[in-house]
Amino acid sequence: MCRSWWSFSACALLSVTLIGIARSEVTTVEIVHYFNVQGQLDGLAALKSDFEAANPDIKIQYTYVPFAELLSRTLQMAAVHKSPAISCIDNPDVLRVAKAGVLKDVSADVAKLPTWQDTYPGPKSAVSDGQKVYGVPIGSNSLAIFYNKKMLSDAGINPPTTWAELTDAAAKLTKAPVYGLAFSAVNTEEATWQWEPFLWSNGGKLLDLTAAPAKEALQFWVDFVQKGSASRDVVNWNQGNVPEQFISGRAAMMVIGPWMLGQVHKSGVDFGVTPIPVPKAGMKPIVPLGGEVWCVSKTDEKTEAAAVKFITFVQDPARLEKICNTFNYISSVKSVAVKQGQANAELQPFVLQMDTARARPEEGGANYPAISLAARTAIQKALTGQSSVDAALSEAAEKIKTVAEKK
Amino acid sequence: MQTVTQIGDARDRSGLAGPVNFRPQKKRVRRWQRWFTPYSFVLPIVLFTLLFLAYPVIYSVALSFRDATIDTFVGGDMPFNGLANYQQSLSNPSFWRALLNTVLFTFFSILFQFTIGFLLALFFQNEFPLKNALIALLLVPWLAPILTAANTFKGLFNEVGPINQIGHLFGLPNLPWLADPQLAFIAIIIANIWIGFPFNFILLYAGMRAVPLEIYEAAKLDGAAYWKQVSHITIPMLKPVTVAVLMLGTIYTVKVFDLVWIMTGGGPGNSTHLLSTYAYQTGFSVFNFGQAAAIATVMVLLIVSLNLLQLALQRK
Repeated sequence: MCRSWWSFSACALLSVTLIGIARSEVTTVEIVHYFNVQGQLDGLAALKSDFEAANPDIKIQYTYVPFAELLSRTLQMAAVHKSPAISCIDNPDVLRVAKAGVLKDVSADVAKLPTWQDTYPGPKSAVSDGQKVYGVPIGSNSLAIFYNKKMLSDAGINPPTTWAELTDAAAKLTKAPVYGLAFSAVNTEEATWQWEPFLWSNGGKLLDLTAAPAKEALQFWVDFVQKGSASRDVVNWNQGNVPEQFISGRAAMMVIGPWMLGQVHKSGVDFGVTPIPVPKAGMKPIVPLGGEVWCVSKTDEKTEAAAVKFITFVQDPARLEKICNTFNYISSVKSVAVKQGQANAELQPFVLQMDTARARPEEGGANYPAISLAARTAIQKALTGQSSVDAALSEAAEKIKTVAEKK
Repeated sequence: MQTVTQIGDARDRSGLAGPVNFRPQKKRVRRWQRWFTPYSFVLPIVLFTLLFLAYPVIYSVALSFRDATIDTFVGGDMPFNGLANYQQSLSNPSFWRALLNTVLFTFFSILFQFTIGFLLALFFQNEFPLKNALIALLLVPWLAPILTAANTFKGLFNEVGPINQIGHLFGLPNLPWLADPQLAFIAIIIANIWIGFPFNFILLYAGMRAVPLEIYEAAKLDGAAYWKQVSHITIPMLKPVTVAVLMLGTIYTVKVFDLVWIMTGGGPGNSTHLLSTYAYQTGFSVFNFGQAAAIATVMVLLIVSLNLLQLALQRK
């Protein structure tokens, strides 16, 4: 009795140990993300199976978290030293998270990649503080004008290219219950993000809101609402509500990004896409960049190496093109993006804007969220007539000054 | 039987010889058990309270005295910075706006929720056909997920939404409900009244049912009119229920978050922020966890003081 019990437990112990050893040869790379559209998930699944086939010793494990929780979860896990190997972080947050010391510097690894040399300056600046690099972009998105082809041709208008044309078109297209233009100025990052194309194209800066270009850009927005060619409700519309207005035919034009292409197509509205209008003909639109970044967390050597292997694997041009097309993103790599634009006319305006597109943290770096908060309060106050454009902007500039002084 | 047992117990405790001690060798264990048993009954709830209720509150209060931002949070070395978080919050006009908004929001929400709930409860003391079905319908707002309710109200208050359409019938102009600071604040209060009145109604309704009918019959015999009965019987008899309803209502209302967050996000221009949404924004948009904790602590203090005020008023 006693003997068999001993041999049994010895056997069990041995096998458990062996399984443990065998297991530890496979490195698991956990990837935390907030993608929940079917196309995106299919793209991620394809990446996983391709990568695992090429690297049998590494296992990819995706973990979905809601958008609002990704950042707090990444930080919490880092605080208890259980960071996921890779987090897909929204690009304006990357430098903020990196400042907390959570992310690994991958500059040495990306320097070797040909695609990195070919990456647009905008997406590059979102993931790098000048020397260190904290990840590689999955792809980029930005903003452009979607217009209802029928409404424009009925009114005999061409897609607007300048501010004057946009104002004119919006006014002519407004016929109750249709508003000429819809945009999002809700009390979240969306408001700042949607205003930035106009601010930046006009040569303005969030860090210099009392300057004339900023005042003109905000006045430009306020005029739409005051003249009635945009709804007063823009201050409550998020970027989900704006396409609702467009699809239901209550807005002739809207400011939105390429991620909405699929949904607008499905609705059956006959639409076109044109770049963000510029203050004067001949100027270049400067749009903010959206899109997520593969960021490698500081973990153990083995996991870090496996994670780096994964993000470099994705940088293969053919794979980049595939994943960006399934996401309706523009690749941050120029040669790939140009190809996407040639293949798809609706993506072309976004591709054209990539050369001059800017990462949001170029304004204030890690302090961007606080700066953006001050700016959108000003946007809302001016749009609702609580303050004049001048007063709202100087109040915001005052707040931004104290924020920017904090290092 | 009972008497016998009691005597036996008393003897046992006082050490008098009695027929109860069948196994004297276990006496020590039993004495320890006797001491421990009552505590073991309360132990789970004490542990639960400490772990899941006291710890988070204490942690949050402790956090409010530290410089906890995204930079210091991960390293875990959030330095103690005394009252700096409170100082910074209190010197910010947005905080005072949020505090004032919270007080007004709570006051008007409770005032209307309670009044509507009370009148409905009175009405439903009568017997009439379909009564139970109507009661079930009245509970719908309380059962509806806030996410759904808030998004629906956002649609209703839209500039081209149904509320303005109805307004047109009465010759009212198009009102920018959620785009105007004052109107937006009124709109969120209206939405919150709709969500909260069934809670008041059902508790008051049950409370009224518990008042013995004999009292009303006696009053009727004495010739008391209906409103006399209400003011002299129903209201005084309902006092314990009223206290509970008002206290719970205050707690629920001060901490309303999702409704406002979805309908206005605190906007336009920070005009509809409550302490809850303001704390969230400070914590998760700007990542100043220390200041957010300070605002949350003020919120807790507000709830406690409002409840103490209510208790004091009720005692009078």
